[in-house]
Amino acid sequence: MSDSLIMLLQALLLVIGCLFFLVGTLGLFRLPDTLTRIHALTKADNLGLGFVVLGLLPSVPGPATAAKILLIWLIALAASATAAHLVARTVRATDASRDREERA
Amino acid sequence: MNGPVPGKVSVLQCFASAVVRTVVLLVLWWALTEGDADAVAFGLWVVPLIVVLWWRLFPPEGRGPRVLATLAFGGYFLCGSVAAGLDVARRLLSPRLPISPGYLTYTTSLPAGSPRWLLANTLSLLPGTLSVTLRGPQLELHCLDTTAPVSAAVGHVEMRIARMFPR
Repeated sequence: MSDSLIMLLQALLLVIGCLFFLVGTLGLFRLPDTLTRIHALTKADNLGLGFVVLGLLPSVPGPATAAKILLIWLIALAASATAAHLVARTVRATDASRDREERA
Repeated sequence: MNGPVPGKVSVLQCFASAVVRTVVLLVLWWALTEGDADAVAFGLWVVPLIVVLWWRLFPPEGRGPRVLATLAFGGYFLCGSVAAGLDVARRLLSPRLPISPGYLTYTTSLPAGSPRWLLANTLSLLPGTLSVTLRGPQLELHCLDTTAPVSAAVGHVEMRIARMFPR
């Protein structure tokens, strides 16, 4: 009984996680420029992955594996924040040089 | 990059830093190998090598972050990143698409090095902000909604990070 309840909860968490990925992707279509799209992707995907990790936690074989998938989430967070910053910085630099060319 | 200030790190701090780094890496190894007993012997060789490498790349910067304040910040960040995901989802699913993007330059009072980078990186995952450039204390942010009180929110995050790194 409680097993099937946990499985139901897991399924729910996984579906919620996927929905957040879907919303992040929707942002790519609805938002007007690169920077706003990065907002959507980093934040929604981070939460989506968090829900997927939470959904997987009850079925891991031991604490070490649980630590491993939590670690994956943490590293994905750090990577997405860093990648977001790098893309944003490049966009800013490109925009600035284009502005200078237009003025010249 | 931002090197440590020479002459400020005591022997005790170096020792504490070495112990903490070793423990962190041992836990990391345990997690990566999923607790496999056969991998322990290999890990005991690899961990000290990585500690040496870590030390050479990032020498200790004096006192490390406070444990309790770091845990508190972790909890705050977790809640904040959930709020960020929900905020983005709400805006994207709303037919009107309520955004008014723009730039904001924030001057941080945090010391150079890890505190500033932590601020820049966590802001990218907190609601409404994305760090674009970090030049000295000038942090340029891109905001999803410039009508929101972004500056106050950034100030709040900054204060929480300042608590982690005592001067």
